[in-house]
Formats: sequence, C-alpha cells, structure tokens
Amino acid sequence: MEIIVAIKQVPDVALNIKVKDGAVVEEGLSYVISSWDETALEAALQITEDVGGEVTLLTIGPDKAAESLRKGLAMGAHKAIHVKYDDAKKTDSFAYAKILQKVLEGREYDLILTGKQSQDTDAGLTAPMLAEFLDLPQVTNIIRYSDVSAQNITLYRQGDNATEVLEMQLPGIVTVNDSLNEPRLASMRGIMMAKKKPLEEVDLDALGVSAEMRGAQGSMTEVLQFEKPESRKEGKIFEGDEADTVKQAMELLVSEKKFLA
Amino acid sequence: MSKILIVAEVKNSEIKKNTLELISFAKSKGLEMDAVLCGSGVFGQADVLAGQGASTVYLGDDSSLEIYNTEQYTSLVTDALQQSGATQVWLSSSELGRDLTPRVAARQGVGALSDVTQFEVNGDEITAQRPCMSTKVIQKCQFSKDGLRVISIRSGFFAPEETTPVPAKTVSLSIPEGHKQLKVKEVQAEVSDEVELNEASIIVSAGRGVGGPEGCDFVKPLATELGAAFGASRAVCDAGWLPHKHQVGQTGTMVTPDFYFALGISGAIQHLAGMSGSKVIVAVNKDPDAPIFKVADYGIVGDLFKAVPVLREEVAKIKT
Ligand SMILES: Cc1cc2nc3c(=O)[nH]c(=O)nc-3n(C[C@H](O)[C@H](O)[C@H](O)COP(=O)(O)OP(=O)(O)OC[C@H]3O[C@@H](n4cnc5c(N)ncnc54)[C@H](O)[C@@H]3O)c2cc1C
Ligand SMILES: Nc1ncnc2c1ncn2[C@@H]1O[C@H](COP(=O)(O)O)[C@@H](O)[C@H]1O
Repeated sequence: MEIIVAIKQVPDVALNIKVKDGAVVEEGLSYVISSWDETALEAALQITEDVGGEVTLLTIGPDKAAESLRKGLAMGAHKAIHVKYDDAKKTDSFAYAKILQKVLEGREYDLILTGKQSQDTDAGLTAPMLAEFLDLPQVTNIIRYSDVSAQNITLYRQGDNATEVLEMQLPGIVTVNDSLNEPRLASMRGIMMAKKKPLEEVDLDALGVSAEMRGAQGSMTEVLQFEKPESRKEGKIFEGDEADTVKQAMELLVSEKKFLA
Repeated sequence: MSKILIVAEVKNSEIKKNTLELISFAKSKGLEMDAVLCGSGVFGQADVLAGQGASTVYLGDDSSLEIYNTEQYTSLVTDALQQSGATQVWLSSSELGRDLTPRVAARQGVGALSDVTQFEVNGDEITAQRPCMSTKVIQKCQFSKDGLRVISIRSGFFAPEETTPVPAKTVSLSIPEGHKQLKVKEVQAEVSDEVELNEASIIVSAGRGVGGPEGCDFVKPLATELGAAFGASRAVCDAGWLPHKHQVGQTGTMVTPDFYFALGISGAIQHLAGMSGSKVIVAVNKDPDAPIFKVADYGIVGDLFKAVPVLREEVAKIKT
C-alpha cells in the first residue's frame, strides 16, 4: 500500500498567540506538524505495518518546513516530498489544493491521508477540494478503519448523528478525526534513521505551477485582518450552599440573559 | 442580481434548526433565495422551507439519499445551482456541511469560507468572521475573486423566526449516481433524538468531575429537560464514559451556543478553545481556582452532585 500523508507545518496553537495591527505576531511562534496531520501519519504507519507498503510525506512550505518532514520521517515515514513555497501568508486552501494536485498527478499512490482540518486555518477545505481536482472519492472525519487490503478499506465516518460505515475502493482521500489514535513519539533510533531517508525537493517552476497559481493570485479568498476574540467580561462567582447559589445564579440567568424566555 | 441557494438539512423528518437560521437570516436581509433539499421522504418539508421564504425548493428525494454521501449530494447541489442561477451557496457547518462545502466549491472551480460565525452580505460581497488557531484568533476574511460564493456557517448566529409552512414551488431533480468507488455498508445510528452539538442553542457538558459513567447519567437528565445537547470534556470521552462525538474542544467540536453549562470541567485551554465563544457560560466546579471560572459569566463554586438537582428544580420552575 502506497500512502501519501499531506502534512502542514503550522504554528503551535497550544502556545499564546499574539495579534498586532491586524496580523499574527511571528515572534515567539514555534512550528509543529498540524496535530490532525500527525494523527493521519500515525494511521498511515499502522496501516503499512499491517499490510506492507510505504508512507510518503508531502508538504508545501518554506525551507523550515523540512524540519517537520524530518520529524515525520523520524516517526517512521519512509520518504518525503518538500514542495518549496514561500507564499504561505496569502495562500488559501483552494490554492494549496491546486498545487497538491500538480504534485500528485503522475505519481503512484493508493491512499491520501490528511487531517480533517489544519490547526492554523481550522478550514477543513483542502482535502475535499483536492479529491475533486483529482477526481477521487473522499471520506472525511474518520474515527476508525478496518478491513484494509490492497484494493479496499472500510472507514467509519463520524457524521452528524451516526457513524457512517463506508467501503472505499482505492485510490481515495481520507481525512482523520483526532480520536482515531494517539500519534507515537519519534525514538532516538528513528531520529538517526530519518537523516538517511530520501527527502525529495520539488521546485514550483519545474512542477509547472505558474505565478497565477501562487499566493494571493492563486487564492479565491483572503484574510483582511486577524483579531483577538473579545475577552469575556468578568463573571459573577457564587460561593456557599448549592441550594442557594444555584438559585441565585438561575434567577440572574433568567433576568439578565433571558434564559429559556 | 444576487441570489442564494440554501442547502437544507433534515433530521428525524424535520428541517434542522441550523437550516432555519440560514433562511431566516437571508429573509431578514431581504435576499432572494432558493433551497435544495435532499434525503429520503423529505418532500413534505419543502413547505417549511417555503414558509420561511424560499422561492423555489429543488428536491432530491430518493431512498438512495437517506444517508448523506458526498458524490450524490454534490451533484444535486450543482444541478440545483445551475437551474436556480444562484450566485451564492450557503451551507451549515455540520459534519454534512463540512464534507460537502469544499467539494461543491471545487466542482465550481471556486474557493470557500468555512465555519463562519458571523457575516455581512452586500450583493455578492461577503465579509465573514471565522475563528481559527483553536479560537485564539478571529479572521476577518472575504472572497478575493469574482464568481460563485460558497460559505458554511456555524449554527447559533441567528435566531430563526417562527413561521407556518406554505405550499412550496418545487422542482424535482433527477437522481445522480453515487461514487462507484464508495459503498455505504451500514449506519450505526446512536440515540437519534439527541440534540447535536453543532446545532444546539444550549449545551450541558460533563467533565471528569462527574466521576464516571454513572455521573454522566446523573447529569444527562438536565440536558434532556433543557432540550440541550450533551457535551463532554476530552477526559470524559477518553475514559470511555461517553462516545467521542460528545467531545467539545480544540480537537472535538467547536461550539458557540447561547448557553453553555460546564459541570466538573476544569477549563483546560483545549476545552476553552472549543466553547469560549458561547454567549453565556455557567460553570459548576468545586475548585474556586479552576480556570473555567475565568470565562464563566456565572460561576458556582460547589459540588455538582448537589448543584445539578437544584438546577433541574429551577429549570422545571422556569418552564411552568
Ligand atoms: C493536543 C490536545 C488536545 C486536546 N483537546 C481537547 C479537547 O478538544 N477537549 C477537551 O475537553 N480537552 C482536550 N484536551 C485535554 C485537556 O488538556 C484537559 O486534559 C481536559 O479538558 C480535562 O478535562 P476535565 O476538565 O474534564 O478534567 P480535569 O482537568 O481533571 O478537571 C476536572 C474538574 O472537575 C472538578 N470536580 C471534581 N469533582 C467535582 C464535583 N463533585 N463537583 C464539581 N466539580 C468537581 C475539579 O475541581 C476539576 O476542576 C486536549 C489535550 C491535548 C494535549
Ligand atoms: N501547505 C500544505 N502542505 C501539505 N498539506 C497541506 C497544506 N495545506 C493543507 N494541507 C492538508 O490539508 C489539510 C486541511 O487543510 P485546511 O484546508 O487548511 O484545513 C491539512 O491538514 C493538510 O493535511
């Protein structure tokens, strides 16, 4: 089974994110593999451990995105493709999906795995768009899989009020929910071995990605500005006997906030 | 002329609240709109959509559409779009909408704005706000090229108006094929009268403080009596006390209900990421220093096992 895992290097959102003059402050950001993409990678590793095959990482990003590829290789991926790209700031999911399409056309794969959304945009658009551009079936937000063979995989998608169980004939695109697994940590040995694993660098011009496909030109949407969410006003704290405090709080909830009105 | 096509969603043979919100909002802005309604045995709901203000309802009604699937739904929306001449498609950012939105947009060769929490419409100019980076930042964004607008909107941004159904003008769509590489094997439906997190205006969530599965059972009636969705922290889902679909937070469902009750939840940053956009937050926690109190509008320091019965009594009183 040949699996491609599309990973995006993103700021670590567990850290404090500052905004100044409508933009996210670069200083102090630390970059990681988007957490859902790590889940996708873990799934890919488990699948190939079970049925054989190779895992290829694919990222579109600046020079420093190579660190994330090395980390994924250390976790156990077999090889990596780095599409060198410096226009990240103005690039939306549509443009990424178009570039991913260019990279993937003419390559061999059975399965493309991605996160259900990336941690910086929280958009969840790239993978289904890519699926459409490559004319592949998609199953999003999976919480489980079973019965993997060279031709098929059974996927459990968390829908709105049911788990939908689908059998997908490969090749196809699947996006993962984080409850699928707990990504492994890279071992020392893995880190050593990663240095020797193939990391292919791809140039946009060589790929035929024209200027019109890049950055703002290739994107269909744009961010005008970033803002911090309004910080919440200080609330009222009630201490004492629950029989009294709950009553007081509920009365205010009704009078001040029109609860159940 | 701009015109909107609303992708309607149905649950238990009723139009979902998030769909009503979209139509009601469009109507309040005086916008012209059609709707597309897909499912099995759903034609009767077209009148509800018409009552809310949809001019034409495009119907894809077939037993093969009972369970959502990307390919058929994408084709149906595309067909409705062509027939209606709409310049915008609005979906809700349910799991259905999350799957369908990008596919519909890509088929039309355009981009999309997803999981929008607020937006303004001026002709086909849309300025939207959407949380990102785990709700630590809000993006203000817009479409930068001409062409069809495709957006998905989180529920809870607008209070739908109560209306009565009127006979709808309907157009039946021909039923497309599903994707030949995909086959639905089964649907593992859980108790389906539960309100979904994605469309709830009230959410009652349980944290590790409930102590175990019995604690979840202790809290749940409050949710039921409020007509609320039942949420949980990751600690509760990871422990297996509740299925993962209940998880609220950075890696669970991001929610913005009118009222959020956090019971025995500490308020870890990843949990706050998923619920701090709620309009009103009520927290019960026995630890006065629990971080949840930093975001709570009403913070009750106390034992949830004592507080929940009082909450239920008070709710019963308000309701009568
Ligand atoms: C990458 C990552 C992603 C994550 N994503 C999520 C996510 O999406 N959602 C999420 O929720 N978490 C997420 N977490 C986990 C998060 O960090 C916390 O561990 C989790 O939210 C804690 O859940 P809790 O508040 O229920 O439990 P705890 O932190 O253990 O808090 C229990 C609370 O209950 C109170 N309590 C105990 N007994 C009572 C009682 N009788 N009455 C009243 N109060 C009582 C205690 O004072 C305490 O504050 C994530 C973590 C990581 C690392
Ligand atoms: N620059 C990129 N390089 C590789 N994969 C990407 C890139 N951008 C997005 N993806 C993939 O698409 C998923 C969804 O991205 P998004 O549409 O931003 O939520 C991510 O989790 C990645 O798997």
